[in-house]
Amino acid sequence: MTTVMTRTTARVVVPIILVVAISLFLQGHSHPGGGFIGGVLTVAAFALIYIAYNLDYLEDGVLGREVEKEESIGEHRTVAAYRRLFMFGLVVLVASTFSGMLLGDPVLSQYHRSIHLPLFGEIELASALVFDVGIFCIVVGGLLTVFSVVGAE
Amino acid sequence: MNDVIAIAPILMAFLTGTTALLVRSFPRLQQIVSVAGTLGYAVTVATLVWRVVFASDAMSIAYQVGEWNAPFGITLVADGLSVFMLTITAVVAVYAIVFSVRFIDYRNQRVYYHPLFQFLLLGATGAFLTGDLFNLFVWFEVMLMTSYVFVAFYGNSSHTAAATRYVVLNIIGGAFMLLGVGGLYATTGTLNMADMARTVSASGTEMGPVVGLSALVLVTFALKAGLVPFQFWVPSAYRAAPLPVVAMFAGATKKVGIYAIIRLYFTVFGNATLPTTVPGIPSDSLLAFLAPVILVMGMSSIVVGGFGALSCDSLDGLFAYSSIGQIGFIAVAIGIAAATTVAELRHVALLATLIFALHHALTKGLLFLATGVIRDAVGTTQLADVGGLGERSPVFASVFLVGGLSLVGIPPLAGFFGKFLIFDAAGRQFAAHVTGDTFGAASAVVVLIVLLLGAVLTILYSTRAWMGTFWGPQTDVIKTGTVDSIEVLILGTLAVLVICVGLGFEPVYQFADTAAEAAVDTDGYVKTVEFGGEGA
Amino acid sequence: MTFALAVTVGALFALGTFLLLRDDLVKVIWGVTLISQAANVYLITLGGVTEGTSNSVPILADHHEPFPVTTDPVVQALVLTAIVISFGMTAFALVLSYRAYQENETMDVTEWDQ
Repeated sequence: MTTVMTRTTARVVVPIILVVAISLFLQGHSHPGGGFIGGVLTVAAFALIYIAYNLDYLEDGVLGREVEKEESIGEHRTVAAYRRLFMFGLVVLVASTFSGMLLGDPVLSQYHRSIHLPLFGEIELASALVFDVGIFCIVVGGLLTVFSVVGAE
Repeated sequence: MNDVIAIAPILMAFLTGTTALLVRSFPRLQQIVSVAGTLGYAVTVATLVWRVVFASDAMSIAYQVGEWNAPFGITLVADGLSVFMLTITAVVAVYAIVFSVRFIDYRNQRVYYHPLFQFLLLGATGAFLTGDLFNLFVWFEVMLMTSYVFVAFYGNSSHTAAATRYVVLNIIGGAFMLLGVGGLYATTGTLNMADMARTVSASGTEMGPVVGLSALVLVTFALKAGLVPFQFWVPSAYRAAPLPVVAMFAGATKKVGIYAIIRLYFTVFGNATLPTTVPGIPSDSLLAFLAPVILVMGMSSIVVGGFGALSCDSLDGLFAYSSIGQIGFIAVAIGIAAATTVAELRHVALLATLIFALHHALTKGLLFLATGVIRDAVGTTQLADVGGLGERSPVFASVFLVGGLSLVGIPPLAGFFGKFLIFDAAGRQFAAHVTGDTFGAASAVVVLIVLLLGAVLTILYSTRAWMGTFWGPQTDVIKTGTVDSIEVLILGTLAVLVICVGLGFEPVYQFADTAAEAAVDTDGYVKTVEFGGEGA
Repeated sequence: MTFALAVTVGALFALGTFLLLRDDLVKVIWGVTLISQAANVYLITLGGVTEGTSNSVPILADHHEPFPVTTDPVVQALVLTAIVISFGMTAFALVLSYRAYQENETMDVTEWDQ
């Protein structure tokens, strides 16, 4: 699939997908969107890169690091990073679940507050966003692990 | 009052699962975390039981997650029935996890076994505690997702086919439940079970759709419980999963199906009446309408399970079929409870259901784990290959004997009371119909005969398992194999527990009595949810 | 519009059931996916395709006039959850089918040894 056409399309489309993903992710607490949708879209962008280039492209071409050839895909450095992302998401999720309890409110309680930023205007800060970050990381980490491991077979 | 103890078991399992995942690079630590977490889980369940059932100011507790009040938020409710089921789960879970540490191959345990186990526990716990129909669906899926992995990736290659069947079947089941739950929401305008109970008992709700949709949901519950005609995944899935997890399947996952049937049909739809009477069905309640269905499912399960177990040539297969049969006994008791309109008989039948569920979880757990010991010792569970194990390890033989006798229902073991109460309920059902109602009396006689047949079949296949494994001349594999004494020690304590439940039956009976009362106490359930939370 | 949705749900279920009964595992999994999607579409139709009122949207029952222009949000939330779950299930089923293929060297479920 690594034709010129897919590569060129990927170059154009991937940034757009990522921006849409981020905007969907950020408005998630009171509009359609959220961690899962944002995460899935991000994964879609990564999947496109994998299809157009390959698994090592991100490390090699973007980050400019040497790619070490591991014996199995499970120990690949990129995959390990995805797995860590998954763990991190889970921890954030647990922390956000329990934080309400520490403040004396029921589990999963959410808070929000509007703040005024210069130039930007009114924005709403919601603690639900933290929960969403957890979900986002789990979705991205988990799916990309699956993609790269199964894709490598 | 939003008391966090109501959801402490869920949080405990969630926390343990996550921690176990985080420390996956340190296998020893992971085992410690997992076992300690399960013990902590048992402690929280015990506290919850104390608060809901035994304390002087005992009352059901509701918890409104995130302070979203019922009926809009998700409500979790710990009442007598829920905590009874949680207790069963906790006991089985503790034994299963302790046994796993010893039994499961160290390399297989390393990465994901313990987190998955905790998430399986989490799914079952959530299903028992939730007061929201859609949330029940979600917990079902949590439980299933982990069980897929256990069935698919811990067996050898021939089990992948079993796993595929299991996965496809359960996804379809999930879709059915989604249809049913969505339809119930459209009909009643709520997903909160307490609110739904209120809506369906008030006049003005169309009951026709509710009957059909609840039958659709029953399909999924029966699939989870492994009732005929949805039993065919049971034997192959049980043979594929690791044996301690099978103990969990039999002790907790199947009970979730049973619990959901009781909760939805007795607590939520218990007061609902149909606008028309159906010929051949004495009362106009929704329960009476479903009763024949559940009874027939239960009776066919007893027959299929019994004969299946008799014809099976391996120990784990035998117990898997036996598990279908035993769930059949439970379903028959539920059917009797649903068919009757007499409050006392319904109570007795539900009591029988719960006691039998407890006995089944303990006894079957013991037997599945014992099968694990045998597989560990000799590497096979084929009845043809093992034999004469009794001579080799008398202690293990006696442990197994306790399980077998309890399964058969010999007093004073746990199994006796379960079976006794079910026959008691069936007898009372017959007595209630014996004058006048020929059809009712005839069906009650059929139920009694099938129960009797089931009991005889249980004796036959238990004897077969016992004779095939422990008597006769020692086979070659038995001569060379060694029985792991620590595993036997763990099982020994479980056997003692089975005996203790039988000997000290009084508090167990009280506990089950409260649970059976909670099962039909629709008003109490509604009250707990509506006023348990702050200002709902 | 309601009619169109009803036809869609029916067609999805019919097609899903048909595919489920095939002997090619990939088709079976397609069938499973289609049935899950049919259930999701069915949930969407429950919310109605007209503008919600206090009668048709239960969550607005205690709401004061004027009613916001909305459809039933609960249904949407249910569908979102169901999509996430069926997404995970499908992914798992696909990986499982790959493994089953590796082990049995065929996708034909009738040729598997039991």
